Amino acid sequence: MKSTLDRRTFIKLTASASGALVAGVCFQSCTTDKLPATVYGFSPLIKIDTDGWTTLIAKNPEIGQGIKTALPIILAEELGADWEKTKVVQGDYDEIYEEQWAGGSYAIILNWDLMRTAGAKVRQVLIEAAAKKMNHPANELSTRNSRVIHIKSGDSLPFEELITEASKIPLPETVEFKPIDSFEIVGKNIPQVDLDQDVRGTTKYSIDVKLPEMVYATVLKNPVFDGGVSSWDDSITRTVDGVLDIFELDNKAYGGRLIGPNSPNFVNGIAVIANSTWAAFKGAEKLNVVWDNAGSRMESTEGIFERFHSQLTSTSIERKDGNVVTAKRKAASIFEAVYELPFLAHLTMEPMNCTVDFRADLCEVWAPTQNPKALQEGLIKLFGLKPEQIKIHLPRIGGAFGRRYYVDYAMDAAVLSKKMGKPVKLTWTREEDIKHDWYRPASVHKMTASLNAAGMVTGWQHILANASRKTSLGREGNPAGTEIDSYEFPGGFVPNLQFEYGHVLSDVPLGQWRAVGHSATAFAVHSFLDELAILNNTDPIDYFLKFLGPARMVPVVDDYEFDLKRLITVIEKVRQISNWETRLHEGQGRGFAASKHSGSYIAEVVTVHMDKNDKVRILRVDAVVDCGIVINRSGAEAQVVGGILEGLCAALYGEITIADGATVQSNFHDYRWMQLDEVPDIHIEFVKNDLPPRGLGEPPLPPAAPALANAIFAATGQRIRKLPIIKQL
Amino acid sequence: MPSYTLTINNEKKVISANPDTPLLWVLRDILDLTGTKFSCGIGSCGACTVHYKGNPVRSCTLTVATALEGNITTIEGLSADGTQPIQQAWKDLDVSQCGYCQSGQIMAATALLSKNPKPTENDINTAMAGIICRCGTYTRIRKAIQLAASKSEE
Ligand code: FES
Ligand code: FES
Repeated sequence: MKSTLDRRTFIKLTASASGALVAGVCFQSCTTDKLPATVYGFSPLIKIDTDGWTTLIAKNPEIGQGIKTALPIILAEELGADWEKTKVVQGDYDEIYEEQWAGGSYAIILNWDLMRTAGAKVRQVLIEAAAKKMNHPANELSTRNSRVIHIKSGDSLPFEELITEASKIPLPETVEFKPIDSFEIVGKNIPQVDLDQDVRGTTKYSIDVKLPEMVYATVLKNPVFDGGVSSWDDSITRTVDGVLDIFELDNKAYGGRLIGPNSPNFVNGIAVIANSTWAAFKGAEKLNVVWDNAGSRMESTEGIFERFHSQLTSTSIERKDGNVVTAKRKAASIFEAVYELPFLAHLTMEPMNCTVDFRADLCEVWAPTQNPKALQEGLIKLFGLKPEQIKIHLPRIGGAFGRRYYVDYAMDAAVLSKKMGKPVKLTWTREEDIKHDWYRPASVHKMTASLNAAGMVTGWQHILANASRKTSLGREGNPAGTEIDSYEFPGGFVPNLQFEYGHVLSDVPLGQWRAVGHSATAFAVHSFLDELAILNNTDPIDYFLKFLGPARMVPVVDDYEFDLKRLITVIEKVRQISNWETRLHEGQGRGFAASKHSGSYIAEVVTVHMDKNDKVRILRVDAVVDCGIVINRSGAEAQVVGGILEGLCAALYGEITIADGATVQSNFHDYRWMQLDEVPDIHIEFVKNDLPPRGLGEPPLPPAAPALANAIFAATGQRIRKLPIIKQL
Repeated sequence: MPSYTLTINNEKKVISANPDTPLLWVLRDILDLTGTKFSCGIGSCGACTVHYKGNPVRSCTLTVATALEGNITTIEGLSADGTQPIQQAWKDLDVSQCGYCQSGQIMAATALLSKNPKPTENDINTAMAGIICRCGTYTRIRKAIQLAASKSEE
């Protein structure tokens, strides 16, 4: 199988003091003599113990996406380990592991070859060791259930009896992957490795860390974005039983608003230190602060959207194919529609928190972060530490969805621990968590299609205006970012096509949110295509297939193409499993959308029922997914269900509004989330193939909102062009 | 600071805390029972659900001074080995994603089944209302409650 990554990989193999065989791995940028000391003497991935148990290191942050189970599955598969005799241990942050982050649905894509290589090379060594001991040629041996086996004779040896021999064998230069059709663990329903501790409540998140001498902290930040502190009165706070100290947090004293090109520093405010979380919360509530809002634009949602709308006519061109102006002139008809999407919050179930023990020799951090490298860089920038003075532990994380790509809350905690000279556990209240999020950008989309006499698209213009993630708070020096990328759909599909971006500067803190830009553009694009189908009196799936054209490879931009055969397959399949052609009751309707994201193809059909009060009830969702090889069937299905529900829920209710330069919403009571009784029947199918695995955390989300809005149109004739839906019905 | 005697997982615990301290923070910060989670702090997400006198309550809104009369069961006290029927069903169906809401979900579900061993769809909706799962594990939560209920019938 062709490797998708050209990466130099080598593994160090050694018999450790306990007699175990430990294989560490080191990718491209290091040499074996530079390997740092960790639990086993160096950063390991695989440890085979004398008792027959194999320990596999999960290196990437586990945010609920199942990566702590998925990457070890790949290692175990290539190794031939018995999954029932395998332990998984979370690795700390270590540069040597590489690609040790969570985002963009990349963890499987980037680590598939790395994990396979590590597992396979250790298997090759075990086989070579066994060949000597068993007197069988190596090419007749294979591994299974943590044994090297000789199928012809039935001879076998357990891994643990090969440790001494294997540790003397140098690792092979070339890697021999297992044939994909011989996989025994990959593709099965494997429960999450921490499931037992999850149901017993013993899983440790960073919010659960307790250290000797530790004190507790919380923060009260200026609710106005990018504001400061003018003065404060803490006299009542100091009377709260348990309050120990109060500090101002001013990022000017710590390098300013940025800690890296795309990495914001902590937000200004006041911190309260106490002997319990509750005392810190109470103390913060009693603070009396005069905020400094002199630098704020004091924005409001209405004002922001007005500026977006006026920016639609002042844009930069992000992609230009053919000539949309000529296409308009020659068109039989022209159709236009404008779509609006709100700011969205992340609301991770575990609020922002971090525990830091800042000692003279070592700054030790327990952080719920998707991006430990950014955290390390931040500590280096703020305190002038060297990488070897920083240790970042990666406990389990109570949801992330893009919020924890930023490490502002960890900078808070580090500053406080340094000041106190003690370990500090910082916990943000939910109110702070919502008011100081890095929101999904709101946006306005003006779509124009030129149509021929047959109602098909000859010209496509998509103008997007908004404030960009790339230039938000503290990043205004960045080149004007675009929120409409050249590879956006349907780039490559229409001869005359133009993407334009109208850039607005705003104080609203913006960042990554599940599926990032595509979470918004997909709503505009796939609602618009549905409108075109209806205009043309054509079934929306038929219209979309005609729009796509015959199965072929469609180059979108360099290095990025659509395999239309795969897209058409998932569409045809979802048409079938959703019973798309069958009639529904009065007041019901089906909507469809399909897209490619992070290399995966997905088609969704949403069925809704509208009751007499125009209350929408989602009855059913059908989804067909082609993500290449499925690593863990159970985990993959969970990601698809979760992504769809998040897409639907955000479309129905999700909205952050801004008034007087600050966020209006403050907790779950005014930022509504879906509950159990609203959850539809969900039917999911995976296309079976042997193609390299692709992302799954994000791809299910983008089609959900347009499919829902299209279903509401089918049920009621009402077109939703503005989210959230609940405000439109 | 006054001292209080609480009954937690059928054991008496003497602790000192201010009377207005929510039970949640007594469990987490003082007793190290961190399976009960903080998420909203205002009774609107369910992550902190425990049983008080057999009923599901939001421990973030129940002050320690008002939780003295009966047994408090936390997720850690459901079973010694994680095999209480709801826990078992959760494992059978691989319910958890990020896991953070799960103890609240499990506490609400066990309270439901202890009073109503054969809940209807509607009973499940009512009992689980307001217990938010941000990751969207709801479909498996529903199935797991039904699975545990069907096993108790056998
Ligand atoms: S933390 Fe108690 S209900 Fe949310
Ligand atoms: S499993 Fe993550 S919030 Fe429910």
